[in-house]
Amino acid sequence: MEESTTGDWSETGLDESDGGDRDIEQIPEAETIIEARNLDVYYGEERALNDVSMSIPEQKVTAIIGPSGCGKSTFLRSINRMNDLIDIANVTGELCFKGKNVYDEDVDAVALRRQVGMVFQAPNPFPKSIYDNVAYGPRIQNDTENLDEQVEQALRQAALWDEVKDRLDERGTDLSGGQQQRLCIARAIAVDPEVVLMDEPASALDPVATSKIEDLIDELSEDYTVVIVTHNMQQAARISDKTAVFLTGGHLVEYGETDRIFQNPRNERVEDYISGKFG
Amino acid sequence: MSEHNPDTAFAGVSRLRGRIFGSLAKAASWLGVVVLAWLLFMVVVDAFGLTAASTDWYLGALVGFGAPLATYSAYLYWKRPDLRWIAVRATVIPPAGLIFAGAIFVLFLVFEPFFWFLYYTIAVLPAVAVYGHFATRDDTRAPLAAGFVGVVGLVIGYFVEPLILIMPLPWIMLVWVLVVPAGALIAYRQAPEDRQQQVTILGTGVAGGVLASYLGPALIGVTPDTAVILYAATLLPVAWYNGAVLANDRSAWPGLLGPVVALGAIGGGIVLGGLVGTTGPEPVLDWQFLTSAPSTLPANAGLFPAIVGSVFIIAIVAIVSFVVGVGAAIYLEEYAPQTGVGGTITRIIRVNIANLAGVPSVVYGLLGLGLFVNLIGMGLGIVLVAGLTLSLLILPIVIISAQEAIRSVPEEVREASYGMGATRWQTIREVVLPRAVPGVLTGTILALSRAIGETAPLLMIGAATTVFRPPTGFASQVSAMPLQVFYWSFHQKSAFRELIAPAGVVTLLVVMLSMNVLAIYLRNRYEQQA
Repeated sequence: MEESTTGDWSETGLDESDGGDRDIEQIPEAETIIEARNLDVYYGEERALNDVSMSIPEQKVTAIIGPSGCGKSTFLRSINRMNDLIDIANVTGELCFKGKNVYDEDVDAVALRRQVGMVFQAPNPFPKSIYDNVAYGPRIQNDTENLDEQVEQALRQAALWDEVKDRLDERGTDLSGGQQQRLCIARAIAVDPEVVLMDEPASALDPVATSKIEDLIDELSEDYTVVIVTHNMQQAARISDKTAVFLTGGHLVEYGETDRIFQNPRNERVEDYISGKFG
Repeated sequence: MSEHNPDTAFAGVSRLRGRIFGSLAKAASWLGVVVLAWLLFMVVVDAFGLTAASTDWYLGALVGFGAPLATYSAYLYWKRPDLRWIAVRATVIPPAGLIFAGAIFVLFLVFEPFFWFLYYTIAVLPAVAVYGHFATRDDTRAPLAAGFVGVVGLVIGYFVEPLILIMPLPWIMLVWVLVVPAGALIAYRQAPEDRQQQVTILGTGVAGGVLASYLGPALIGVTPDTAVILYAATLLPVAWYNGAVLANDRSAWPGLLGPVVALGAIGGGIVLGGLVGTTGPEPVLDWQFLTSAPSTLPANAGLFPAIVGSVFIIAIVAIVSFVVGVGAAIYLEEYAPQTGVGGTITRIIRVNIANLAGVPSVVYGLLGLGLFVNLIGMGLGIVLVAGLTLSLLILPIVIISAQEAIRSVPEEVREASYGMGATRWQTIREVVLPRAVPGVLTGTILALSRAIGETAPLLMIGAATTVFRPPTGFASQVSAMPLQVFYWSFHQKSAFRELIAPAGVVTLLVVMLSMNVLAIYLRNRYEQQA
């Protein structure tokens, strides 16, 4: 993984923030909602993200793929500052959300997370009723006028309403795994965030539930910006507009249109990864 | 060995060491259980004077007690197995209600009924009303508003209390404080939608309370206030349960006969034993023992002031140790720094809390004496000092068990809450605490049942081993059950050592075991929910 063994990728300008080659695609500023500039994340001494610069377009699905431990979840969590919860995490560089660096002193992480929702790997509904799960966000923000409508709308958007409308009092944890994950998505979008971050949302689900989640992500991208971390390259190819490939050491190696990345990757190691030679 | 021999290749692998260990452990466990059971048996024999009874009394009592019970159990087992749990619950509710009534009775000993009446009317009721008003509109400010109204009510009550000279009769106040809310709760639970039916249930409940205040004195010779307490804690829950069961399924009535059969069996045992037997048992542990003050005569001796004292002390310990302990655990687990210099301090505190859990209780007694009596200047041997000292004693246990419970809440659920933009406080209140409640409650109650048996710290803070009147407030001189037993077990008259002390021990154990049963019940109940 030393640069000498991968001679071609220092030529592509990956280590220069201005990016000589087009491995990292630029996006017109008007369409950009999230932009990382030279972002580094350290866990203690360990460097989890290495000088990542990329722009994520609005109302598109952006997939982040890469082998285990490559920093893709770390990147996702640095967008809504979930890394703050880890005492030893240290972030340098900039991460701009709608032009504002979220690591500025005057940004309240709690307020930020109310605009950047998150769905986790394992479905994690609260041990409350289905209704209370979805109503959690509006309630903690004291936005409880028309709560019933908000809950119904979120459940409809998450394609769960028809399955649960007669049993909103039942506990969210009693649903099946796929339903739980859609409940978590409903919970995340009930507060109408700008961005929904998804950290391998289907990795704990069976194929049928997975395909439902994928359809759902497709629909969500009409209203929200979706950033999804996935282990599953076919999934990334199916659902995303753009794909970013992280490789070991927290390097963003290639970023561009999904079709182009999968059909014609420019970086040799990305090609190896996509064709299954490692990772 | 190295060659493959089809005859020995799959021969047994030695498990000798494991077997020896298992057998030894099993033998040791059984030895412990048998020794403890034998000790308890001897204490019970003494407490109930069982050696005095003749063999024919036992035979008679066994038949009188066993026959109805066996018949009923057989009927349930063969004919109506679906009613088993209904029968068990119906049988448990009346005695549980009686214990509950005893607890309420003690509460009204601490403060006059007027105290409860005033603060219930002026603080609790408005606070509940405000909470309901906000909560039905899904306003998260509900607890805040209710707390504010409650505190204002308390302050007003404090100034108004001495000014009120005319007050209703105690039993009327008790109907208002106990029966009306209980009736309203039942009405709401039984008919959440139907207003008409709610009014009927509430009206019937209150009318029954008024009736009880007249019938109680006439029928069983208690005061009207006691009759109302008994009605609210015992008859109302029984009526509620039976009513709910019958409303659900009319044919379930045989299940509700459980308490009648149990009562009949006890009565039958006593009557038949008395008819057949030449001599019956001479129980020391009887109603007289539970309701009298200590005496120099064994026949008149009782545990009543010590029982009330223990309840007072435990009430203080429960409140103080729960609030402080859970607060400390939340701080240590959720707020305290985990890294750097702060993290080191946090770790030192954690380790030392574990050390404190092992400090001998005598030392806590000295701490209580030094801190509360000498430094702050509270009285020697009063309820408040006893309660606070025992709170200090069990705080480490409460903190550790609450920490464990909070730590066992999965990180994913916390993350989900933070990811929604919840603050730390919201996350703790809405997500962490509800899931940690079973563990916190179990730990606290088990610690409380340890506190109720403590003797040494109470001696250190100057509590009397024998007091002749139950405490009437937080500044009263107090004794406790273990202290009284301790005193009796060194009494110069052998009757105290051999009969009265065992009766005290049995009472103490029954109270302690009921608390543990409550802990198990609460844990199961909340675990099903979580």
